[in-house]
Amino acid sequence: MKITKFMNAVMMTAAITFGGGAVQAQQSGGSLVFLVQPEPPTMAGYVSTSGPIGLLGPKIYDGLFDYDNDGKMIPVLAESVDMSEDGKTVTFNLRKGVTWHDGKPFTSADVQFTIMDVLKKVHPRGPNSFKEVSSIDTPDAHTVVLNLDNPAPYMLRALSAYESPMVPKHLLEGEDIKSAKLANNPVGTGPFKFTEWKKGQYIRLDKNETYWKEGRPYIDRIVGRFIPDASTRASAMEKGEVLYAAYNAVSNVEAVRLNKEKDNISITTDGYSMINPMALIEFNTKEGPFTDAVVRRAISTAIDRQFMLDTIFFGYGNPATSALSSNFAATGLHAEMPHYPANGDVAAANKMLDDAGYKKDSDGVRMTAMFDLIPYGEDWKRGGQYIQQVLGEIGIQVELRYEDVPTWLKRIYHNYDFEMNLNYFYQLADPVLGVHRHYGTNMIRKGTHFVNSSRYSNAGLDALLGAGMKEPNAESRSAIYLEIQNILARDMPVVNLFELEFLTVYNTKLKGAYGSAMGAYSSFGDAYLEE
Amino acid sequence: MNDFWKLFSRNRSAVLGLLILCLVIFVASIASLIYPGDPFLYSKYPLSKPGENGFLLGSDSIGRDVASGIAHGAKTSLLIGLIATFAAVLIGVIFGALAGYYGGLVDDVLMRVTEVFQTIPSFIFAILLVAIIKPSIESVVIAITVVSWPAVARLVRGEFLALKNREFVQACHTLGMSDYRIMLKEILPNCLSPIIVIGSLMVATAILIESGLAFLGLGDPNVMSWGFQISDGRSMLRVAWWICTFPGIAILITVLAINLVGEGLNDALNPRLRERN
Repeated sequence: MKITKFMNAVMMTAAITFGGGAVQAQQSGGSLVFLVQPEPPTMAGYVSTSGPIGLLGPKIYDGLFDYDNDGKMIPVLAESVDMSEDGKTVTFNLRKGVTWHDGKPFTSADVQFTIMDVLKKVHPRGPNSFKEVSSIDTPDAHTVVLNLDNPAPYMLRALSAYESPMVPKHLLEGEDIKSAKLANNPVGTGPFKFTEWKKGQYIRLDKNETYWKEGRPYIDRIVGRFIPDASTRASAMEKGEVLYAAYNAVSNVEAVRLNKEKDNISITTDGYSMINPMALIEFNTKEGPFTDAVVRRAISTAIDRQFMLDTIFFGYGNPATSALSSNFAATGLHAEMPHYPANGDVAAANKMLDDAGYKKDSDGVRMTAMFDLIPYGEDWKRGGQYIQQVLGEIGIQVELRYEDVPTWLKRIYHNYDFEMNLNYFYQLADPVLGVHRHYGTNMIRKGTHFVNSSRYSNAGLDALLGAGMKEPNAESRSAIYLEIQNILARDMPVVNLFELEFLTVYNTKLKGAYGSAMGAYSSFGDAYLEE
Repeated sequence: MNDFWKLFSRNRSAVLGLLILCLVIFVASIASLIYPGDPFLYSKYPLSKPGENGFLLGSDSIGRDVASGIAHGAKTSLLIGLIATFAAVLIGVIFGALAGYYGGLVDDVLMRVTEVFQTIPSFIFAILLVAIIKPSIESVVIAITVVSWPAVARLVRGEFLALKNREFVQACHTLGMSDYRIMLKEILPNCLSPIIVIGSLMVATAILIESGLAFLGLGDPNVMSWGFQISDGRSMLRVAWWICTFPGIAILITVLAINLVGEGLNDALNPRLRERN
């Protein structure tokens, strides 16, 4: 596979880094220009988890920890973490001598403020991640003690600069956090300082000369460029004008071509394991044609997931086999479920609908429906057109609807004015962080994006979700999630399609930027350019 | 009729245009016969080169037949072109006729309205309209109509202004004919030829606007069209050139053919140009 090329690059980097006495060392200096697509609305990563903010935010703001590609925690602003026996007290020992970009010292008060007043209140996922945190003590300037109501082991997976950036208390205290000036003039502790934002063109970050890590960052300047046109992005990559493009900013078809044709361009699927994206169809379970679970199961059975991956995403990704991603198999939280045939089974789906009494009329149509498509580009439109054809084969005639982003969000998450919706969700590093929001009754939050828009509500499932959140024992936890997956494979308020694998395209001149599990959402403090 | 054909056929390129146009109409009308299935139907052979796996013009990224798309797209393009033009001509004639015939306040009001429409760049206005109404075949037709009628209104107004004081119209007045009858039965037939010419050219513009909208992703996602094919294949131009090249050629020759026919009609119907060539 193409990945070997990347592995070679990693090995080479490793050889250079650890090879003691090797001729080359990390070179300081240079500008890294990379693609940010689309332009972010603000730079407030503590208010919005929007992708483009994630590409730039973690270069400016540090988190308490980062994670390597094996999922191990790498100390950043916290040097270590201790958890008490009962899991209800978590103590962070903060790094000393860290300063904000404006020169003020970073202390435990900043951490306390960030978690209690920012992440728990205005962050989209923070209320979930830090749900159990009832109070925070700061015995001294470099010790933070979190008091929890219940053990919350998943919290330790949500401490990266993208998921939980540490923000300066002195610039936010007393302000309305959502509209504070900090959003467009970010001040963090990260390796790069915010310098300039030319709307419609680029955001420029410069080296933080007083960064806490000795000798880092290597790069003098980072420029995130916005190029709205897909072909122009690909040619900018080809010409070496930009050196790095993540989250399919360069489409798979072009990425594969560049990897093959250009010696200095490689691709990787690393750096997305903490994001864990899942393509899916959300159904309106309260009204319209899909209130009956049989129909939803039939749809899941009919779709040829492998075909969609092969043709639309050029083979990158895995067919979904359950409500939970197979990436959770490592922690024992994944099991293969029925009604998820990788290659689709139209005959079986037709039989399910026949048996349930949905008769085909003379044109072979059992029911008609409107199918909304996530307005994130032509890949999704193509996917929708494929599904439209397959559903036609099982007698469900759907019309496609493709609107602009605000209209679509409003339709799905404010008005619930839809029948079925093609979408993708980040399942993140733990089901509590990324999956619960899709199914819990308490996650039917009108007006909040990317939560339970199906309005599926099942008291039994709610109880299991609650139990899964608190269970510290891995084996019992895996049993709970097996039951959850069984219920969801039966009721299917959401039909998962495939685990997306995003591609990062990079110029081999850029080294040292691939060690974090956060991938493009990492700090780039260790990245350097080789001329 | 024979005279008309003689005049028309003197313009060789117009005849060529007519032939091509007839071919396009023919393909559009038998699209469902030669490609009976849905043009959106996927297959297991994505990105086949032209001629490979039984695809005359190749297949796209999910294995849809490009040739089938072009045949079905021809139907869409021609229908949208004709319907939108018909609607635009109808509205334009009514506005222009009333303004030209009555003059005065009616003229002022109607022409100011027309000017409002004319001052907005037409393609941007069409994008706006389709974005406001949801993208569908109806909204595309409405958008094209709304941006196309002012030109007709202007033209018809000019013709009516020139004709309304001629002797034959005055004679009609003397005979006590109603305004409605004079406009419809006497003046309109006399300015039909420029309307036919502008109408024929408008079909070409309408096809271009439709393709442009579909290219920008504002077409009806349920209807196959040339613009959609180009927009879908554009990102793959370097890997699979055939996906957007063939629909592009289809648009090019259709629009060219319609323009040639329009030119020929102009030559044949405009008495002042009869001695040309």
